[in-house]
Amino acid sequence: MSEQGEKLGAKEERKWPTKTEFTPEMLEEMEKLLPGTLNRVVAASLSGCIHCGMCSDACHYSVSIPEDKTLVPAYKADRFRKWYKSRYDWLAQVFPSFVGAKKLDKELADEMYDKLWGGCTMCRRCTFNCPMGVDYGMMVRAARGIMQKVGRVPQHLQDTVDTHYNAGNNMAVPQDEFVETIEWIEEELQDEEGCENFKIPVDKKGAQYFLTLNPREPKYYPLTIQATAKVLNAAGVDFTISSRYWDLTNYALFNGNDPDAKQFALWQAEDVKRLECEYLLAGECGHGYRALRWELPNWVGGVPFKITSVMELMAKLILDGRIKTDKSVWDGHRATYHDSCNIARSGGITEEPRIVIRSAIEDFVEMEHNRENSFCCGGGGGALAMPEFTPRRIAAGKIKADEIKATGADICLQSCHNCTDQLKEIIEHYHVNAKVMNLAELLAPTLVL
Amino acid sequence: MENNVSHALYILQEPVQYMALSFMALMYIIKIRQMLKKPIPPEKAELKGDRVAGALESLTNVLKPWSMESTRKNPFFYAEFLIFHIAVALTIGATFFIPLVPFLMTPAVSKVFMLFMGLAFLIGLRRIYRRLTVPEIKIISSPDDYFAISLMTVFFAVGFVAMWMWIDGSPDTGWMWIFFLLTTFFLLYVPFSKISHYILYPFGRVNHGRTFGGRGVTNRNVKNPTWNPK
Ligand code: SF4
Ligand code: SF4
Repeated sequence: MSEQGEKLGAKEERKWPTKTEFTPEMLEEMEKLLPGTLNRVVAASLSGCIHCGMCSDACHYSVSIPEDKTLVPAYKADRFRKWYKSRYDWLAQVFPSFVGAKKLDKELADEMYDKLWGGCTMCRRCTFNCPMGVDYGMMVRAARGIMQKVGRVPQHLQDTVDTHYNAGNNMAVPQDEFVETIEWIEEELQDEEGCENFKIPVDKKGAQYFLTLNPREPKYYPLTIQATAKVLNAAGVDFTISSRYWDLTNYALFNGNDPDAKQFALWQAEDVKRLECEYLLAGECGHGYRALRWELPNWVGGVPFKITSVMELMAKLILDGRIKTDKSVWDGHRATYHDSCNIARSGGITEEPRIVIRSAIEDFVEMEHNRENSFCCGGGGGALAMPEFTPRRIAAGKIKADEIKATGADICLQSCHNCTDQLKEIIEHYHVNAKVMNLAELLAPTLVL
Repeated sequence: MENNVSHALYILQEPVQYMALSFMALMYIIKIRQMLKKPIPPEKAELKGDRVAGALESLTNVLKPWSMESTRKNPFFYAEFLIFHIAVALTIGATFFIPLVPFLMTPAVSKVFMLFMGLAFLIGLRRIYRRLTVPEIKIISSPDDYFAISLMTVFFAVGFVAMWMWIDGSPDTGWMWIFFLLTTFFLLYVPFSKISHYILYPFGRVNHGRTFGGRGVTNRNVKNPTWNPK
């Protein structure tokens, strides 16, 4: 085991200087930053919209809050696009208002802030319904990145990133406290029948899988760690948890700050190498999975290990016959599954969760929109870390709550901690009678040991 | 069918058109070059799908109304879109066929062109109405959006009448003049307008297909999928 209590995170502590208003100096700085964000995807997304409106019905904001037309995707994106056009559209150089271009001023910047932080979860559902292939995920992240760099970023979201930067995980869980928590969870696990010999190895060199966690798990949901560990032990998986960079979240994916995103990814990649693991294994966390599986290799320039997820691994263990289940445990219950946007639409994991679910419960009903067509629950894109937009977030979750209710399920499954929190809130708010659970929590009690 | 037109109309139909077309091509080359100069985001992750297959699939998305919920749920809208865009191609095509290969523009062929122009005219009117009345469309519409759809709608109407005269054996009418003047304006204006979106379409679709095809989202031919381990 590595030395516990060592300083993790950046050597020098930092507090990002945030601002509550756009100033002329900030707008000037934003003008300088814009060209650097225009890669081909962002540029094509900014110039390619034809205002056809086909994305209007695709967004959970515009569908759940139909009275507010400023929440349709194209309107929101146009807050950024107007500025882009004022710089790069040929006709806008002569007739700016004719093409809807507008110089960046405080009013436009304020609208960008409102719509692109608080009115878009970067879920990309509109992207999948756009004939022009406009990528809202990339485009909105680019706009957020510019605003963040000049300090205009939701305070709580930035605090989360700063905490990760300063402490090595986004909830500043001290290393010794984390290890103690894991040891306690291990004891709890060993108290379960048939699990006496189950282990949660910490810092085991050469383990095949390097399991990562969302800090909400050791802090608030230790049972999900216990459930995951139970499944992995039951299948005889050789895994470990690091005492250092075990946090798979990367909120810099949400605030658009690439150097921070890269730094967090680098710490984790170095830690996997330190423990000489074959796989970096993402726990059940939507954006965390995407950040590790699809973004980390780009941020750090490639990695010498493989990256997969607990969702995929559990499905594989079931298909390989390495775990046996008894579905009768959940008799009398009906489950539905919410596809986290970053896992399904942006991550390509759609069938694996269903393999896990079908092996654990008989009565499973799909929501009307599922897999890559699933509506965002409203908790993505860092929305849960922006309390100033909470009323809109809850309102935007209505379509998801309605779809859960329509299934008649009393268990709403998901594989993401942001989704967990949002689903719990909207289920309560819209009076849906369902318990929110992740996949390991569904699977663990059915294991035949 | 013969193309007995005055020298003045000939000038408009041929040299002027060619110049306008060359200008449009030049503008497009600049536009495409500008876009190609932008860096492509890297993809160093181990892929789950084929990025090239994904891009190709995404490029043909326009022909697959079932591939997006937005077109799946609105087959009428998609049919309008299809007719409208075929009409665009035929109407512009007509402005080249009439002076260059007039013998191909038989009454039967011309009537097919007219049918599409007529339908596209009606669709254009409906789209203008939609833009003016549907709140979520109105709120995103700029003057260019209105101008572009109005220009196209008028273009179809004029083309329809000019073709009618053409079938009638009157190739050199005021309508034909307006048709070709509009075409010239169209060729000069389009590179600066949203109508040039077809130049950006391949970029958007290829970007989409590469990203989501590579991740095994849109391209279901995933190599070594977890749910089917070998
Ligand atoms: S990315 Fe999602 S939240 Fe953002 S506009 Fe599109 S559908 Fe709405
Ligand atoms: S569907 Fe695409 S092109 Fe149409 S309005 Fe929405 S973003 Fe623009």
